[in-house]
Amino acid sequence: MLQHFLYLQWKSFTRGAGFATGLAQKILMGFAWIYFAAIFASLAFAAFWVVQDDLGKDPLPFVSGYLLYGFVFWIVARYFLQKMPIVHIQPLLILPVSKKRIVRFGLLKTTVSFFNLSNLFFFVPFGVILIQQEYNWPGVVGWWISIGSIILMTNFLNIMLNSVDRILVLFAVLLIGVYALQYFEIFDLTAWTAPIFMAAYHQPLFCIIPLVLLGLIYQWSVTHFKDKLMLDGGTIQPKAETHRAADLSWLDRFGRTAIFLRNDIRLIIRNKRARMSVWMGVGFLFYGLIFMSDIYSGSAMTVFAGIFVSGGFLFGFGQYVPSWDSSYYPLMMSQNIAYKEYLASKWWLVVVGTLIGMVLSSFYVFFGWEMYLAILAGGIYNLGINAYLVLLSGGYTRTPIDLTTNNKAFGDKRSFNIKTLLLSIPKLVVPMFVYYVGVLIQSKSFGLILVALVGVLGFAFRNLVFGWIEKIYQEEKHKTLEAYKQKNT
Amino acid sequence: MIDLTSLSKTYGEQTVLDIEQLHIPTGQTFGLVGNNGAGKTTLFSLMLDLIAPTTGTVTNNDIVVQKNEGWKAHTAAFLDENFLIGYLTPEEYFVFIGGLRGMKKEDVHTSLKQYIDFFHGEVLGQKKYIRDLSKGNQKKVGIVGSLLSNTPLVILDEPFANLDPTTQIRLKNLLKEEASATGKTFLISSHDLQHVTEVCDRIVVLHKGKVVRDEKTSTGTLQELEAFFREQL
Repeated sequence: MLQHFLYLQWKSFTRGAGFATGLAQKILMGFAWIYFAAIFASLAFAAFWVVQDDLGKDPLPFVSGYLLYGFVFWIVARYFLQKMPIVHIQPLLILPVSKKRIVRFGLLKTTVSFFNLSNLFFFVPFGVILIQQEYNWPGVVGWWISIGSIILMTNFLNIMLNSVDRILVLFAVLLIGVYALQYFEIFDLTAWTAPIFMAAYHQPLFCIIPLVLLGLIYQWSVTHFKDKLMLDGGTIQPKAETHRAADLSWLDRFGRTAIFLRNDIRLIIRNKRARMSVWMGVGFLFYGLIFMSDIYSGSAMTVFAGIFVSGGFLFGFGQYVPSWDSSYYPLMMSQNIAYKEYLASKWWLVVVGTLIGMVLSSFYVFFGWEMYLAILAGGIYNLGINAYLVLLSGGYTRTPIDLTTNNKAFGDKRSFNIKTLLLSIPKLVVPMFVYYVGVLIQSKSFGLILVALVGVLGFAFRNLVFGWIEKIYQEEKHKTLEAYKQKNT
Repeated sequence: MIDLTSLSKTYGEQTVLDIEQLHIPTGQTFGLVGNNGAGKTTLFSLMLDLIAPTTGTVTNNDIVVQKNEGWKAHTAAFLDENFLIGYLTPEEYFVFIGGLRGMKKEDVHTSLKQYIDFFHGEVLGQKKYIRDLSKGNQKKVGIVGSLLSNTPLVILDEPFANLDPTTQIRLKNLLKEEASATGKTFLISSHDLQHVTEVCDRIVVLHKGKVVRDEKTSTGTLQELEAFFREQL
């Protein structure tokens, strides 16, 4: 039975829209894997040697203490980034295959993902170092098994929680809260959790507990999805959302662009997939907190953070123009549409989103002006340059987005994935470089001013760049239409 | 209205459409019949510049479709569900489509009144998104969307499929009325020989990508077509 499923999987992979055309991207992805593997492996070395030699602490309990953050962070990161694999279920339902089998295969598929495998790159080298350094090996193996089980647990939990935004918010708040408590030295939860993770090292047999828990969660997911494996269960076809009326007549003042703006706003309000891009914008507002430490002061990383803080929505939404309209792209292409108006609508959305982000992030002032100024400079760069760049790269992305099947088979959430992250690099490297040059020439503030200036310059070329993007969209039209036909990949 | 010159489409080795010459005059109700794979949808997609031809061109009102987008202003079409926007209600969809053609919201609502019978009380005022409508009702939305803005040219791919019998009859009357009253040019494909002969002035039969019959509709046309397709058994 398994080979039948694998056969389907292989076919859908090799016949997918992105396979032949995206070979270069696949290669790039390969490099990204190697890169991440190297990062995680070196992290493992650092976690051992730096902690032992520089901090003078025992690495194993130290790492165990921070595992809690790791897990909660993984859950949040997975929610945003993990691309849920889809099993095409509907044709299978009436064939002589038990539902349990279908669900099991779907779940199995989710375990083969970056979010699980990348952990191996850390924990395998770390474990090997531990054993080499004469930690007792059954203990290390026990510790290792329990951590592996917990990682897989977060995997299954994430799939089940996938459709519940509220739980995600809860986890995010939990993560920030616990960290804040520790940061201000009020309460250190890790002191309590470290011994729990260490238990499996001291008594390897304890690893049975997480293993059993993993089994239970797996069984729970199997029954959870098995019961929902009905056409009206919400797993295969989305449940009808209640009608959200929106009076958008105030948009009429924007003239013909309003026709598109109305649609785009409805797109975001009424489709979960599109709503995710708004959530991303909110999430990235806090991204700068990671870079608050003094070691980043004056480094180009502050600009990197500054761009992301206000640009979450810009990247999450803009990157997928025109894919948001993929399910009715033939309609758009046969209507009396000027690309300019179509693009202008998306551009306005992205610009307004960025502006809101810049205002909301003003709380960074409490942590000092340097970060907030970097956010403002990054924001201006986003408005002036990146707002075009995302639309431009969107013209080449050509990933069909099926708005109507948000919850299809374990929830297909491609609203943000590694591929788009890679495409973001040119949008980030340039301003970092500009800043760096400014710092070299004069000072940190001069660097920020330079970044902002480049952004302001970008505004001047709006019409020129729009014409350019328009041309690309036109040239790519038939290819795009062709790619959007293949929704089921 | 429409001229095809040495139009062909080839995928790899297979030629799916190959038409030397075809002229469709303004005001004609043009029917396209043929079995699956005959090239009907391919032809319509080429006319709408949704796919690029291997050779030849489509000229729509003296505009070469492959070169200039000016044809969009006077052409409306409904080929399949990809022409619908699932997250809009039917009313919002009509306002959107109408708006692109310069109609005000009020104009759209006035224009919709003539289709109230056609909707049979199942589409308007439902507070439902198009994606949650049944296939038949989705089809009604698409068809009306293409008629609404009174473009001189309307292209419909299998408009009768998925409709209930009453609506099929209504659609036939609607198309006949629109064609005679407004002088619109209609391009309609169908598998239902009876419907298409009833509605269209001219029937073209496509077979394996080639035009094999082309004639004005007369009383004997239905029987001749039935005879033709029986031969294919």
